[in-house]
Amino acid sequence: MKFIERLTTIDRRIIYIILAIVVLIPLISRSPERVRVMLPVEKLYNAVDTIPEDKVLIIDFGYAPQDMPELEPMGFALLRHAFEKRIKVLALCLYVQPLGLAQKALTEVTEEFNSVAQTNADSIIYGRDYVFLGWQPPPLIPMLGMGISITNVYTADYYGNKTDTLPLMRDVKNYNDVALLVSLSAGSIPRHWIAYAQNRFGVAVAAGVTAVSAADFYQYYQTGQFTGLMAGMKGAAEYEELVETRLNIKESRKASEALPSLTYGHLVMIAFIIVGNIGYFMQRRRRK
Amino acid sequence: MKKKFPLFLVFAFGILGIIPFIVPHPIVQNIDESIRNDILKILVAFALVLGLGSLLKVHMDKIKRKRESWQYSWILIISFLVSSIIGLFGGVEGAGPLRTFIGSFHFDIQTLYENIFMPLGATMFALLAFYMASASYRAFRARSFEATLLLITAFIIMIGIIPLGEKISPHLPSFAQWIMTVPNVAGQRGILLGVALGIIATSLKIILGIERNWLGGGE
Repeated sequence: MKFIERLTTIDRRIIYIILAIVVLIPLISRSPERVRVMLPVEKLYNAVDTIPEDKVLIIDFGYAPQDMPELEPMGFALLRHAFEKRIKVLALCLYVQPLGLAQKALTEVTEEFNSVAQTNADSIIYGRDYVFLGWQPPPLIPMLGMGISITNVYTADYYGNKTDTLPLMRDVKNYNDVALLVSLSAGSIPRHWIAYAQNRFGVAVAAGVTAVSAADFYQYYQTGQFTGLMAGMKGAAEYEELVETRLNIKESRKASEALPSLTYGHLVMIAFIIVGNIGYFMQRRRRK
Repeated sequence: MKKKFPLFLVFAFGILGIIPFIVPHPIVQNIDESIRNDILKILVAFALVLGLGSLLKVHMDKIKRKRESWQYSWILIISFLVSSIIGLFGGVEGAGPLRTFIGSFHFDIQTLYENIFMPLGATMFALLAFYMASASYRAFRARSFEATLLLITAFIIMIGIIPLGEKISPHLPSFAQWIMTVPNVAGQRGILLGVALGIIATSLKIILGIERNWLGGGE
């Protein structure tokens, strides 16, 4: 009886300790896990890869620190891909919390490229190769306004420069000059990009979302409204895999390195659920 | 007048919000752009100042009356003032007129963000994983057929999205993907269509003045 009771009443502190150990140990060893790339991520990669020279990629950095482990690697991988292929990038945020993370991603990836650049043409230069538009509330203003004029919505960039003076912005007027918009978000923002930017102006939209919210977005992928979809840490690791294998960029792969932690975390949770259920059924049988 | 004017505003701006989606004429589009870029931006700026003012007022009041946990209000007010001053005058990464470094010690807005806001936000959310593990162990029971089905589906998805799934069977990740793109989509789409129809009906009721609860004031 005691054993059966114990199966259903394991102290939560024991669960916490075991989970902490299995999550932390793989993070110390930091060995990236290889993954098979699924179709939604491959479609997104191909869409970015085929952006023509005269069009830009918009990345909506919509993740706050709590979503960082899943969504930040997506941002890094997308930027590496775009910069490697010399695709022009417009970065923006619809909320204030992600601003610092967007700035961090842009600075770090730019430094990666510039540390090995030999000439000015090789380098990633602000205003020429990318622009950080910053934050313009409420989200509806940039979503609809950029269909008419991007520089009218964002008169100044994140650093206070007038956007119409930046070389990149001279050729980028509105959504007609945008090949793809990727929304990295833990909330419902990707579906608003579809409702306002895609339905009204026809801009192609893709998304990177957290695993827990992914179920809400597959319907947009299935209908083709999302060009591609990255879901959770696995989705980010798949994009990292493509960036490394196809572009030969061997930078740190945060999502792939964290996958073993995710694997063991999932297995521990499954094990505890099974143990709990065994105890539950044994108790039920005894009562009968 | 007190009721009619807000109702008229809601009706006018509600209709103005719908028309540009249907009428592509330049005059309509220009009016729409002007409403968004000028009027809405000004309204948001007012709302921001009003919100910040209200937040400070609430916490000042809490300190004054020494309400429960009033000490934390000081942390909020000090953090608010420090980050506002550094953000407004220090600029991003210390590019503003305010000097935001002492020797090699930097305290510009990006440094504060990366060293205070980021760890705090990440820590709060990381705690959730532990609660979720404990809660799923206690609550996830195969009590009925539906619960068992949910449990099995959850296991397939949880294993299918980790690299181990591929090692168990190369079909497992594809099967997990199929669950997400077919049965999940079927359910989600039904819910979403229902919600969308509900939103349209409620919005029309508000725009046409049939639904007036938002005006407040009870009877």
